This record gives sequence, C-alpha cells and structure tokens, in this order.
Amino acid sequence: MNAPDADAPLVERVKQGDVKAFEMLVVKYQRRIERLIGRMVRDVDLVPDIAQETFIRAYRALPQFRGDSAFYTWLYRIAVNTAKKSLMELKRDPLVTESARAGRDEDEDNPRVENEPSDAATPDAVLASKQIASAVNFAVEALSEDLRQAITLREIEGLSYEEIAELMNCPIGTVRSRIFRAREAIAARLRPLLDTREGDRW
Amino acid sequence: MAMDGFDDSARERLSALADGELDPAGSTTSCAAWARDAALRADWHAWHLIGDVLRSEDLASDPRHDRDFCATLRSRLQAEPVVLAPTPALADSAPGRVDRQPRPGRWTTAGAVAAGFVLVVGTFAVLRPGEAPPDARLASADAPTSTTASPARTAPAAEATPQTVAIVADSKIIRDAQLERYLEAHKQFAGTSALGVPSAFLRSATVDSAAR
Repeated sequence: MNAPDADAPLVERVKQGDVKAFEMLVVKYQRRIERLIGRMVRDVDLVPDIAQETFIRAYRALPQFRGDSAFYTWLYRIAVNTAKKSLMELKRDPLVTESARAGRDEDEDNPRVENEPSDAATPDAVLASKQIASAVNFAVEALSEDLRQAITLREIEGLSYEEIAELMNCPIGTVRSRIFRAREAIAARLRPLLDTREGDRW
Repeated sequence: MAMDGFDDSARERLSALADGELDPAGSTTSCAAWARDAALRADWHAWHLIGDVLRSEDLASDPRHDRDFCATLRSRLQAEPVVLAPTPALADSAPGRVDRQPRPGRWTTAGAVAAGFVLVVGTFAVLRPGEAPPDARLASADAPTSTTASPARTAPAAEATPQTVAIVADSKIIRDAQLERYLEAHKQFAGTSALGVPSAFLRSATVDSAAR
C-alpha cells in the first residue's frame, strides 16, 4: 500500500498555476537530483545544467502527472532520461570537452564521477558540506528526547504525522509542533553556516 | 535572522506543508507567504537540507550553490508559460464557478454538474449503449476544447428506445442517472455556449437515439 505523497499539496498548487510552489519543490529536491545525475554523468560540470533541464522538463510535463506514482518517483525518471539524453548529445557534439571525451571510452553503463575540481568539489565547498553535516548531527544530539524522536520518525523513517502520533502516543498537533521545533532548533545551529554574505539571501 | 513580523504559527504551518500535512487552503496561504518572505524561503531550504543530511550525509551541500541553482531556475521558469491543470475533484474549487479551461484529470459527475458542465477533458465522446469507448489520448493542458461530441462509432444495432447514455471522458466512462435527468431538464440550453460547453455536446447527451 502506498503512503500518501507528501508532495501532493504542493503539486496541486503548481497545477493551479502557482509557479512559486514549483520552486519550493525545486529547493526540496535539487540536491538529490544533482546527486543522481552525478552518478550517471562523468563530467561534474555538466550536472547543474542537466539538473536544471530536468526541472524545466518536469514543470512542462506536470499536466501529465496524475499522481499514480509519487512525485519524486516521476521526477527521478525524468532526471534519468534527461541525463541519458545529454550523454547521447555529447557523443554527437564535436565541441565536447576533452575530459568528457576521454571518459567516454569506458563502459557507459558504469559511469564514474571524475575527481576534477568543479563548483561542487572545491575545497571550500567540501568543507562547507562537512561543516553542515557535522552541525546537523550535533544539533540532533542536543535535542530533547521528544523532539529528536519526532524528527527522526518523520525524516528518517518517513512516517506520517498520524503514524508518529500513534507511536509516540500523543495528538497529531503535538507531532506537528515537535517536528517544527526540532527543525527550528537544528536550523538555529546551521544559521551561521548558511548565511554567507549580507544580501545573499533566498 | 530576520523573522520580524512572522508568528510561529505561520512557520509551523509551512513546516507541516513540508511534510504534506496541510489542507489545500492552508497550502495556498503558505505558498503565498513563502513567495513573499525571504526568511521563510531560507527556512524552507534549511529544513529540507536538514532532512537530506539526516538521511544521507553526502547530500550536505554548499548553500551558495543551492541558492545559485534555484535563482537560475527561477529565471528560467519565468520564461515558461504557466502550467495550469487543476484537478477538479478537489474541495477548493468553488462550487458553481464556471471554468472555461480544459481540465485534464479525474472528475466526478456531481462536480461536473456543480461546475456547470464545463467538463471537456482530454477527448470525450458520447456513446450509445453497447459501444466500447474509443482510445482516448490525453490532451496537453493547452489543447483547445474540442467538440468531439459525435459518437465515436455508429452503433451496429440501433436501439429504438433511448437508454442510459454513457459519457466518456479521457477514456473513463461516467454515467449517472442524475446527470441525465439534469440534461433532460435543461434541454433549452442546447445550442448555447454560455456555459462554455460545445452545444453539440448538450444535444447529443439528450439522446433520441432514433434521430442518430
């Protein structure tokens, strides 16, 4: 039995003409989609472009999304198809970069991400990522038992509010509040790492 | 961090929306708030980054990259025609509101009646009893309303008395005695397009099968 799709309210908003709601979905899935594409495409510099293309294609195809699968499942397939299409186009493009050309001779079914410095892999970016992971872990440990359990059941176990309420033996409103407060507490620790420059905001 | 003027309840609702645990009205309000407020957008990013990292540390990212990515996508989205393909069966459609857009997706008969019959969805056809529905291809959201109101196939055995008419939309058959009575009672609307419905549809729905 499929759990209700947590993205359903946002997807419906997009279908009602709310473009900003689609941006909210992009913010949610951008990292996962880039990681997925990074596994398929050797040249990491291409990853953001293919990810952009994925989201645009998903936006255009949204009228055809009927909710038969979860939104992310559908988006995942679009990402895979977009990456494959880009790889095929690379084969035809005479201006393809040397690094991509060199990688192509290997088995296409087992692509590797090359270890080249790129936007994603500069020492600064790697450090920023590590600091964030560390801060999140530290913040979760510092939470009270109730808040930690609520956010863990939601984010790691993927349970609905109703299921968490049953497990924690509390009202759904309490579940919602605990998850919110857990997020607030963790985000508070992340804030110094996330606000890089004045005016450089969302 | 600038959270001035934003009470916790609005942010808590946004948090519930992140989990898909907010009703349509609340979702609409929260999305509008997100669009207006940079602090909420920063929160939304932070919360989802947190969720990603809890599940998999290799999803920890450089936030500047995330911001740049989303800013680029935003400008690309602005160049796109706005997608509009609402699901009519949802409660937040105002009852009785006449909507002139074609609407892919499932719809209930009661919803169609309430919406004043603007229910052209993908392709539709009116069939006589015993006919099989044609293959319906899903139309894209910007396909114009088409008047494929004539029966898909002529029935091999014409029946003398009008029987229950099956209305097919998007390859799903919708039949309802209540709808038929309504159509019967509102025959005077045949020929008008005030409701945004092709008039041929209304005519063929009130079937005098002998005439066809």
